[in-house]
Amino acid sequence: MIRIEGAAWASMVAHAEGAYPNECCGAMLGSNGDGVKLVREALPLENAFAGEQAARYELRPEDLLAADRAARERRMELIGIYHSHPDCDAYFSQTDLKNSCPWYSFVVLSIRNGKFHHANSWLPNVEQTAAEKEELSY
Amino acid sequence: MPKVLIPTPLRQFTGKQDAVAVPGATVGEALNALTAQFPELRKQIFNDEGKVRSFVNVYLNDEDVRYLGKDATAAKDDDTISLVPSIAGGRR
Ligand SMILES: [Zn+2]
Repeated sequence: MIRIEGAAWASMVAHAEGAYPNECCGAMLGSNGDGVKLVREALPLENAFAGEQAARYELRPEDLLAADRAARERRMELIGIYHSHPDCDAYFSQTDLKNSCPWYSFVVLSIRNGKFHHANSWLPNVEQTAAEKEELSY
Repeated sequence: MPKVLIPTPLRQFTGKQDAVAVPGATVGEALNALTAQFPELRKQIFNDEGKVRSFVNVYLNDEDVRYLGKDATAAKDDDTISLVPSIAGGRR
């Protein structure tokens, strides 16, 4: 399961609501032990998708490399990626699946009319053919 | 020997090591040596055809090897190899 601490969660929601009607994205840093991933810090990253961002996001690998280094320096770990779905549910779409990485948790925030509605966490498989729902608490 | 930084979720396959020094004169040789040493890691990095998976970008220090010499990029002592995921998505 994945647990997101209050301050990190508040910054993820603020980021997602602020980016509305576009999708936002970012990294989640924290620790991973005893089967529980704990997110202690959310790191907003730029949505680098070149086209219409209302239904797409893209992370720059350089930004993820920098996020991983920042985590290592502060004795935390990169444990997940978050992004928002404006005006639809927090499912893991085919686009999400085909551009995923099985090493991380993917938290999706549903934003309706500019306000947070609900969220889910997903664990895609290595073949990018399916994603399993992960227990999420925040 | 060049050093490969191991992403957190993959450390379960490397006996918890966060970095592994491996023999190899090129990036490709280094990654092959790494996955020979830790076979469970292989599936995470290479597909069934032995190609690096589409979601993995290989960096030598600060550069994506795709823009250097790909697998044949020379790796020296003190070079750092990073495995950086390629991530995108969208609600539709
Ligand atoms: Zn999505």
